[in-house]
Amino acid sequence: MREKTKYKLISVLSLVVFFLVWELITDVLHLMPKYVLPSPLKIIEVFIKKLSSKSPDGSTLLVHAMSSLQISMVAFLSAAVIGIPVGILMAWYKSIDRLVKPLFDMFRPIPPIGWIPIMILFLGIGLWAKVAVIFVGAFIPCVINSYTGIKQANPVHLWVGRTFGATRRQLLFTIAIPTAMPVIFTGLKVSLGISWMTLVAAELLASTKGLGYMIQVSRTIGRSDIIVMGMLVIGVVGLGLSALLDLIENKFVKGRNQ
Amino acid sequence: MKTFLKSEKMINSIFAASSMIGFLVIWQLIVSMTNLKLLIPGPIPVFQLFYSSLFNKIGSYTLIQHTMFSLFRVFVGFSLGAVVGLLLGISMGRNRLIDAIINPIFNLIRPIPGVAWIPMAILWFGIGEPTKYFIIFMGGFANVLLNTYAGSKYVDKKLIGAARMLGADNRRVFIHIVIPASLPYIFAGLQVSLSTSWMAVLAAEMVCANEGVGYIIIGGMNAGNTTQIIVGMIAIGLVGLVLASIMRTAEKRLCEWNIREG
Repeated sequence: MREKTKYKLISVLSLVVFFLVWELITDVLHLMPKYVLPSPLKIIEVFIKKLSSKSPDGSTLLVHAMSSLQISMVAFLSAAVIGIPVGILMAWYKSIDRLVKPLFDMFRPIPPIGWIPIMILFLGIGLWAKVAVIFVGAFIPCVINSYTGIKQANPVHLWVGRTFGATRRQLLFTIAIPTAMPVIFTGLKVSLGISWMTLVAAELLASTKGLGYMIQVSRTIGRSDIIVMGMLVIGVVGLGLSALLDLIENKFVKGRNQ
Repeated sequence: MKTFLKSEKMINSIFAASSMIGFLVIWQLIVSMTNLKLLIPGPIPVFQLFYSSLFNKIGSYTLIQHTMFSLFRVFVGFSLGAVVGLLLGISMGRNRLIDAIINPIFNLIRPIPGVAWIPMAILWFGIGEPTKYFIIFMGGFANVLLNTYAGSKYVDKKLIGAARMLGADNRRVFIHIVIPASLPYIFAGLQVSLSTSWMAVLAAEMVCANEGVGYIIIGGMNAGNTTQIIVGMIAIGLVGLVLASIMRTAEKRLCEWNIREG
């Protein structure tokens, strides 16, 4: 136990030293010009200021964050709602598997970012182009994981079900899908990460709002303090989203801790 | 049994071929029957351009040269990320002091996606090659580090104990037990990291570059040339496929005793 507290202390110390050195080389010694590396204090300051101030990119921080969240969540949720059933159907019905899998394998290696230009041409630079790009990226892990999850269902369990006279439908809903749930949730986590990352990329390229847009505009005017603050906000929101998903998983997925 | 397997394979490839052909036919039909032809080209012009751009230039390079540019960037950034991730991951996994020092700082950086570093990287390194290496590095190293860390930290204690009892010193335990036990994890990390690197190079090239496959698609967008975009996407998909299968083959060779499921 004492060993543990010792290492905890070292961790805290390491963070403190990290920030102190950062502060030292920026604010105190001025080793780096301001536009190259902002000081930690400056970042906190600009964070508080940006909560209410609209300069220099036209919206407050909360508006940017909400716009990013809205787009990524619409895309992520629709990818989950469509992708999971598609994966399940592919795993459960052989003919669907045979027809869809080759097409799916053809599109799979194209990263979602590669879809950005064509979606912008089709749908403009508004909400829907971004939703479509993120959807394409988030859809893939949803399908793959629900596919493998169902395929991994223990055949013995299925045989037992069949012996007791379960219909194919009952086999699917009471045996295969519950077995696949943990794997499906892993897919959801991957796809959430991809959604968030693709969103940032899409906003860097074409947008008028959102966290990615905020850091891109700040770059063009050399406001590194806003960039770093924006990066940290992007990181924290991403963490928050995956924590939320963990919470949902712990509530709904049974039999994980056995 | 053998003939059964053979026929199973046959059926699968017949289905695969017919769904591909169906896809191309529907694409062609949509393009020729509806107004969508104003937006997307049919499959035939796309394949024509793909073939001709193998020898003719898009921008200032041929398709193959563009691909080489991107691959070289991925190679540099990914190798840097893999080396740093491996070294840090193993030392954090095997040494609690290093773990305690680096882990909090790493956790601060880790949730920031690689692409979010693009603006900062441009401020730091300008728009030259180092910027791209840096972005790919930031996108790739975290996965390698995390997996190496998990692999080397949770090595079966019984194995280490047994080796110790048979008189192995630290170095031999490390070489003969820790490294082989963490290899499958490391490979999983490398695989994820390679595909994020491929994604990061696209993002980097789309924001600032005059060559590379990312440039092909963004150039096509700026010129309103959909055919060029689709050709670029095909090239991207093909390279992604090749990269993934190279990693899988390497994994099979090196971790023969422990092939992961899926």
